[in-house]
Amino acid sequence: MDPESAFEKQVRAQVYDLTMRDGVPPLAARVADALQVTPREVLGAFASLGERRMLVVQADSGEVLMANPFSAVPTPFLVTTNGLKTYGNCIWDALGIAAMLHRDADIDTSCGDCGAAMQVRVRGDRAEGKGLMHFAIPARLWWKDIVFN
Amino acid sequence: MLFFRSEEHIDRWCMSWRMERGAVLSLETGWRLARAWYGEDRRDPEWRRRTVDETEELFASLGLSSDFWRLR
Repeated sequence: MDPESAFEKQVRAQVYDLTMRDGVPPLAARVADALQVTPREVLGAFASLGERRMLVVQADSGEVLMANPFSAVPTPFLVTTNGLKTYGNCIWDALGIAAMLHRDADIDTSCGDCGAAMQVRVRGDRAEGKGLMHFAIPARLWWKDIVFN
Repeated sequence: MLFFRSEEHIDRWCMSWRMERGAVLSLETGWRLARAWYGEDRRDPEWRRRTVDETEELFASLGLSSDFWRLR
């Protein structure tokens, strides 16, 4: 695969800039507006970044589904930080949002088995809470079905 | 990657999904993994994904060195 192009780098940086500010990955039109290009050009870059596994792109619309650790759609991993409400793709990503933003955060989630409410609090360099993280799929297979994973 | 109340709840989930048990991490180790994985600034145009070797090194540095964490 060719190296990431200068335009793809710009799009990726813009996606993360907007996501980290708003808590949700932007639509192509918003990125296009920020970069003064067309949405079609941005969707092309989204597709390339998806192939590079730098973003996860929705199959039908070509819009961003995941700018990891952030999700574009609601999930059972709600992260509240500094007044911002955002969703992680999984428990690892919910913690990753606090790590990426370098902020304290409250994670509201539920037991994957019984659905009981569970909380994790990130305070400084510590994560506080009770529970265990389960990785069901071996690491080498994660990208075979990243949405399930 | 889901969060569970206990080992028993993980076992029950695996049975109901007919899946083998995977890797179980404490919250502390999971937090260390999240900080290592996502601590970099992806707004930086020069950011890139880790190579396979770098990723396996990162896992190993956190004590994640079983077959489950191998990438090839």
